Amino acid sequence: MGNFSVFNSIIKPGQVQHMMLALCCLGLSGCDALISASNKSNGVIYCSEGNPTSFNPQLDTSGTTVDASSHQIYDRLLDFDPKSGSVIPSLATSWSISTDGLLYTFQLRKDVAFHHTAYFSPSRTFNAEDVIFSFDRWRLPNSAYHGIAGGIYPYADSLGLANLIEKVERVNAYRLEITLKQPQSSFLANLATDFAVIMSKEYADSLEQKNQKENIDRQPIGTGPFKFAHFRQDSFIRYKRHDEYWGENKQTEQLIFDITPSSSLRLAKLITGECDAMALPAHSELDVIRQSKDLILDEKPGLNVGFWAFNTAKPPFDRPGVRRALSLAIDKNALIEAIYFDSAILAKNIVPPTSWAFQSEQKNLNYNPSAAKKLLQENGIEPGFTMNIWAMPVERPYNPNAIKMAELMQSYLQAVGVNVEIVSYEWSTFREKLKQGTHDSVLIGWSADNGDPDNFYRPLLSCGAIKSGTNRAFWCSPEYDELIGQALKYTSIEDRQYFYYKANALIAEQLPLVPIAHASKYQAFRRDLVGFEINPYGGVKLAGVTKN
Amino acid sequence: MSRSELYQEEFHPSPLQHTWLEFKENHIAVGGLCCFIFILTIVLFCNILAPFDPLLQKTDAILIPPAWEPNGSIVNVFGTDALGRDLLSRVMYGCQMTFGISIILVLVAMLVGVSVGAVAGMSRGVRSSVVNHTLDSMMAIPTLLIAIIIIAILGTGLVNSMWAITLALTPQFIHQTRDFVRQERKKEYVRAAKLDGAPPTQIFIRSILPNMGEVLVVQGTLALSIAILDISALGFLNLGAQAPTAELGAMLSEGIEVAYMAPWSIALPGAAIFLMMLSINLVGDGLRSALRNRLLH
Amino acid sequence: MLRVVLRFTNLVVLTLLALSFFSFVLIYLFPGEPLANLSGIPNPSPQEIEQLQHLYHRDSVFIVQYWYYLIDLFSGNWGLSFSSGLSLSSEVARTLPASIELSTYALLLSFIVGLPLGFLAGLRHHKTTDYALLSVSVLGYSIPVFWLAMLLILGFSLQLGWFPLSGRISLLYEVPRISGFILLDILWSDIENKSDVFIDAVRHLILPTLSIAAFTTTIILRIMRRSFIETMNSDYVQAAVARGLTSRQVIWKHAIRNSLMPILPLLGMQFTTLLTNAMIVEVIFSWPGIGNWLIQAIYQRDYPAIRVGMLAVATLVVIFTMTIDLFLRLVDPKKSKVERVAI
Repeated sequence: MGNFSVFNSIIKPGQVQHMMLALCCLGLSGCDALISASNKSNGVIYCSEGNPTSFNPQLDTSGTTVDASSHQIYDRLLDFDPKSGSVIPSLATSWSISTDGLLYTFQLRKDVAFHHTAYFSPSRTFNAEDVIFSFDRWRLPNSAYHGIAGGIYPYADSLGLANLIEKVERVNAYRLEITLKQPQSSFLANLATDFAVIMSKEYADSLEQKNQKENIDRQPIGTGPFKFAHFRQDSFIRYKRHDEYWGENKQTEQLIFDITPSSSLRLAKLITGECDAMALPAHSELDVIRQSKDLILDEKPGLNVGFWAFNTAKPPFDRPGVRRALSLAIDKNALIEAIYFDSAILAKNIVPPTSWAFQSEQKNLNYNPSAAKKLLQENGIEPGFTMNIWAMPVERPYNPNAIKMAELMQSYLQAVGVNVEIVSYEWSTFREKLKQGTHDSVLIGWSADNGDPDNFYRPLLSCGAIKSGTNRAFWCSPEYDELIGQALKYTSIEDRQYFYYKANALIAEQLPLVPIAHASKYQAFRRDLVGFEINPYGGVKLAGVTKN
Repeated sequence: MSRSELYQEEFHPSPLQHTWLEFKENHIAVGGLCCFIFILTIVLFCNILAPFDPLLQKTDAILIPPAWEPNGSIVNVFGTDALGRDLLSRVMYGCQMTFGISIILVLVAMLVGVSVGAVAGMSRGVRSSVVNHTLDSMMAIPTLLIAIIIIAILGTGLVNSMWAITLALTPQFIHQTRDFVRQERKKEYVRAAKLDGAPPTQIFIRSILPNMGEVLVVQGTLALSIAILDISALGFLNLGAQAPTAELGAMLSEGIEVAYMAPWSIALPGAAIFLMMLSINLVGDGLRSALRNRLLH
Repeated sequence: MLRVVLRFTNLVVLTLLALSFFSFVLIYLFPGEPLANLSGIPNPSPQEIEQLQHLYHRDSVFIVQYWYYLIDLFSGNWGLSFSSGLSLSSEVARTLPASIELSTYALLLSFIVGLPLGFLAGLRHHKTTDYALLSVSVLGYSIPVFWLAMLLILGFSLQLGWFPLSGRISLLYEVPRISGFILLDILWSDIENKSDVFIDAVRHLILPTLSIAAFTTTIILRIMRRSFIETMNSDYVQAAVARGLTSRQVIWKHAIRNSLMPILPLLGMQFTTLLTNAMIVEVIFSWPGIGNWLIQAIYQRDYPAIRVGMLAVATLVVIFTMTIDLFLRLVDPKKSKVERVAI
């Protein structure tokens, strides 16, 4: 090797150090400004968990779509009081019910402005026409907009609302009458849920003229506290303040939904201050949030249930014995510990303990692998039988990590000689394929939108809910439908309990789905965020949230 | 040591010995070699060495910190992950998976690459020019991109990502072989063989191939580090090995979910990849400079 | 000279044609209906299928179809994305500059750090400084880029809270898109508190740039070192020394300039590695670049997006590397072939 030590004298060691030092200083002088984040108080950033499928909650029961639209862009006729759960006025200022329980009369609010955006300028304020238009869309198959987005309105369909309503009539511009075919005790509560939003008829008409009807769900116009500005798939949704909002108007100038599918990334963004609030903190991370001095964790018992549904339309899962055996093979307590980190309670049935349809004395199937084995054999399931478990790819309050749960169940079922294949797709694809019913079983759940137990019984297991795609078990029992139908005819809780208890017993015997847990609802946000509270009934509400 | 060493001062090491002597001088490279052998031992014997089954889930032992942390336990030296699986066993099996597969892939790519490269190098005219141009455009596209396209066609999964990476590695071997063969063909010993009437296949196998060993080893170490990086990168992006498999990249991406609470679940699998890469690169560097020094002296 | 240019243009055109043909074949290779993969309309109705058949000349011979595909490519009519329903040309126009910007800064940083350090190591050949730099550089190119990025996030974002960990800029700022390069766009725009916005963008850039630059820097360092050592051993430098020039003169006038020569071909070679690393880093830092976009497209099985994304990246790489090759041959026509440099 050549030697050229002579050149070493050009740069002396000391000089090198000087040079390095100078370089470092150059770098550091700008650091102060770089490290400290500037104060950005003109907007609130909410880290949400996924893309909404549209901006119309009528079309989707997915929490993601509801969060992005329902309480931000729209208003309903009625709202729930977050504290008591009772129904309070919103776009309807008052209402009355006839003695036979069939005629509902609503007095509407005056001077409610619709959003003024780049794509639509309203010429009139809200009136009865808008309510009729919004309800007719999901109610009447022959209305102009009914078939625009596939013609399926899962929430209204699963509750049978379209069949329930006889007619919706305008008395005058600010007075409206709704006639029912039969009395239903949960009707007012249903009108206050996230899906019963009021849209603009004027906007719909103008789109119809331009032949762009499908835009109504993509570029929404409502009366809510924020107006839609921009949506970029997988990236963000931008809303601007609705300056003429009829309610309390102390919103920040902007609201951003930062779409971040991974919960750990959402938490990380919350910690660095890139988000002000986050959706669905992972149960494993709750302690981290509690211990952080910058973050606040809100907790409320949730109206939800996470379950494992069998596709009862597909043999051998059409046999209750097989379903029971598989259920016996799973240690639900261990699942709750590992997946929910003890922030959930073991589910005995589909309704949570906060509901009055809950039966504390109901028995639970305990973990018993040997009984499971025996029962499987009796039902002709040989060891080595292979089934699949579909696990949803997103976190939900009722199941924060379905894939991990599926992996745990895989090892439990292995022990009784059942092989499990875990299947998962991107969330919207997942639900699409689930509707087609190709799965053997699925890990999914349900969050109720109001306190009425019918909100669990009907969408989850009624025959009508198979078509609307919320009955994941494809289970149809006329006996069950009769029971939950009867329950709605009565108004007193005791009378209704009688029927729901019978329905509970039927579910426990038939086991179309294995209820696993009722999880608490959590919301995490930074300490400088003011006015952000959990909405126990449905989607997130960011109206009136400000930053210090 | 039965050989008499009467003329010790005239000892001429064979090229291989010479390379080893040069290599031995480089202590860092020798350290890398030791590390390489250590990893190889784990890869070969991890069924015996690993304390637990890498897929065994213990729901009562979730996210236990490593033994050196205050509340760690000695049962799980590296701690456990979010499903209560022993991280030490998973890292060992992960090494086997990542490292073992990479070696196989490199060997396959080498075999294919040398054969095609030999054909390209021994031939002239249109055939060689076609191979050249195809190669140049293949080499211009990032291996990860090729892998992504193949995975998009075949679907995600470990086997598909193996296909993809093999395909992406092969052009480098072709290139290397072709250049080497071209160079050697001009030398006397090849010409001598040719004058003896040896056909091209025989010239290549008998005369050129024995001289290629070192070039191939050096290129092999380069390819091995690329293969490890790509396998783990694809696993990390959820395009390669899927969830329960103990593959280091896939483990890293699982670890992100609990990164804030359990930093060790990303630190340890990452460190394992890093260590593998480091030892391979050190050995590769050492070999290259040993060869260079041998040729200089 | 002209012949060289012509030959290169020929090569570029041929390679691009081959690539476009491959991307056309991909329509058939990907799962699903070829028409859907081509147009980006998932599950087209019979009526739509008929329209599309006509639009893409599906009733003609294969080669003719390819011809119309080429015309569509040139006119920017690349189809729609399955998942977002937006036109792919607008998506690529949005994501590609973001990737180029990130890679460019990383490359610049690598040169600024790598060249002087490589020079220093070469100068202090076989001394402690050299060994220290070499060891650090081995560490640098052995560390997997995704692990480094995660360690940086753990340390600088989550522990210290210095830098943000996702995106190009805080979502609260709306920067109008002119060139697609965020820093330039901020400077050109007339938004209020421009300096705050600029600083915010720089803060978002730091960690991803560092993660990508680590690898490239070490490579540049090693090449610069080797090249400098070889230059110093060359005959003309020895001759210069023999003529009695001072060491300063020899180094500044002869050694540095000549040892910089192999850096350029290296740039061409490293570009692909740089881009690969950038693609991974983009995913980790949710950088809205083409790598992130492509990988999301795979997760969502968005075949039109994969096809177009692949074509865009490959075209970029081919044009870049070929341009550098051409430039080198024009500068030094004696070289019949670009030498591959050893590190």
